[in-house]
Amino acid sequence: MELTKVKFTNLSKELFPGITKAKVIEYYIKVAPKMLPYLRKRAVVMHRFPDGIAGKSFFEKDAPSHTPSWVKTFRRYSKHAKRYVNYIVGDDLDTLLWMANLASLEINVTLSRMDDFEKPDIVLIDIDPAQGSGFAEAREVALFINDRLRELGLRSYVKTSGKRGLHVLIPIVREYSFKDTRAFVRELGRFVAKLRKEVKIDYAQNAVGKTMAAPYSLRPLEGAPVSTPLAWEELEKGLSPAELNINTIPERGDPWCGFFEPQRLEVRYGA
Amino acid sequence: MELSAKPPKRAIWSGSIAVGLVNVPVKLYPMIREKVFSFRMLHRRDNAPIKFKRVCSKCGEEVPLEEIVKGYEVRKGEYVVFEEEELEAIKPASSKKIALEKFVDLASVDPIYFHTSYILTPDKSEEAYALLLYTLQRTGKAGAGRLTLRSKEYPVLVHPYRGALIATTLHYPHEVVSPQDMEELQGIKEPPEEELELAATIVDALSGEFDLASYRDTYVERLQELINKKLAGEVVVVEEAEKEEVKSLMEALRKTVEELKAKQE
Repeated sequence: MELTKVKFTNLSKELFPGITKAKVIEYYIKVAPKMLPYLRKRAVVMHRFPDGIAGKSFFEKDAPSHTPSWVKTFRRYSKHAKRYVNYIVGDDLDTLLWMANLASLEINVTLSRMDDFEKPDIVLIDIDPAQGSGFAEAREVALFINDRLRELGLRSYVKTSGKRGLHVLIPIVREYSFKDTRAFVRELGRFVAKLRKEVKIDYAQNAVGKTMAAPYSLRPLEGAPVSTPLAWEELEKGLSPAELNINTIPERGDPWCGFFEPQRLEVRYGA
Repeated sequence: MELSAKPPKRAIWSGSIAVGLVNVPVKLYPMIREKVFSFRMLHRRDNAPIKFKRVCSKCGEEVPLEEIVKGYEVRKGEYVVFEEEELEAIKPASSKKIALEKFVDLASVDPIYFHTSYILTPDKSEEAYALLLYTLQRTGKAGAGRLTLRSKEYPVLVHPYRGALIATTLHYPHEVVSPQDMEELQGIKEPPEEELELAATIVDALSGEFDLASYRDTYVERLQELINKKLAGEVVVVEEAEKEEVKSLMEALRKTVEELKAKQE
């Protein structure tokens, strides 16, 4: 039996310092069982680094012309790009490995699924430590946000951005618009600003066709860090995001229990 | 003049020249070796060679060979379809014989018809070959016949040249355009006598031996130089996927595929 439809090429090419493409593909093979559920039915945007992280990179929103026929795609009008975009659907192992073979180190996904593209099923709270602050401040803000969300009766999930930031995700039923989720996050951001001015909450990512680094996506930095799903307890105890990387993540279990049970937002929001 | 193209390694045809009841077994080698550089198309990103696929222009799908037939375009977009067997049936029988029907003066054949030349070498029997070669040399004649190469039949002249028998194929008259059919050449008049005389003195002054060696293919030379430079410096190496790496990937893949399957069940 054929294990994959993908023909791997240029395997010895160095994509991160000391890390070959073979290693990158091996990483995505190993994390696929954990990662694929978070890609399924979502539009995937590749961030390709054909010459490694030191070279030029480009985002590929459209399925390229050489896309094999077995890769699922769907067409949607993008208001942002003012044209139709032929999105790649992150649906299966072959698609993931095809992207990895194209040196798409980073794999980004939308916050909605293709069968109801205008309706988000994830609220993204993107915690971005700016102005000399770092992971420690981001962590403090994330824990603060989790407390507020708990008060509202909402389960939320946290992952490292892979850089210095953190992403907090709230899985929701597909009954709200992106305008609603944007407003929700903006409101949260106001709370946070009172606590720590230097940490920014980017709410604008909650929009049709916008993406975030997928859970378990590599990030284009030295050491190949991973945008890693965490248990809240892990974050409370403290950790170093650089240790969550291409070498350490394949062996970890997935801590995001219950992520696929969506929640209602409005009952609690503002209550 | 020095002829210096590299001798070919392989004969492209073997058979015999028949003169009456005498057979001269020969092998046929290409004599004209045009210097061309061919480039392969590579993907800029990873230097892997570009492959072509046979794709249907209508449905966009790749078409396997067994689903391909030949069509002759009668009018734009209209084809008469042929099966391979139909075409095979009318091809000239690949004859293993060049029958020399007539002997002629080579100089009497208009060089415009010369297509290309092949070197004939003796195949086992040198005596028969030598007899034909020396006879043609002594009589100054060329034998005329037919040669079938790659399912096309050509008129051919067998003639001696620098101690060898050469087969020179010819174009058919219907393959050559008559200059008189060119409209621009209709009604060209003879210039006045005094102009002609003056021009002829200039030509006389510039007359000399034709020296082909003084002509060079400068593009090919520059290209060769460029290739040499690249070879000395950086060569573009096409990497084959290393077997070891692929093996370990397949091992990891097997585990993942099993795990995904188990999850589905």
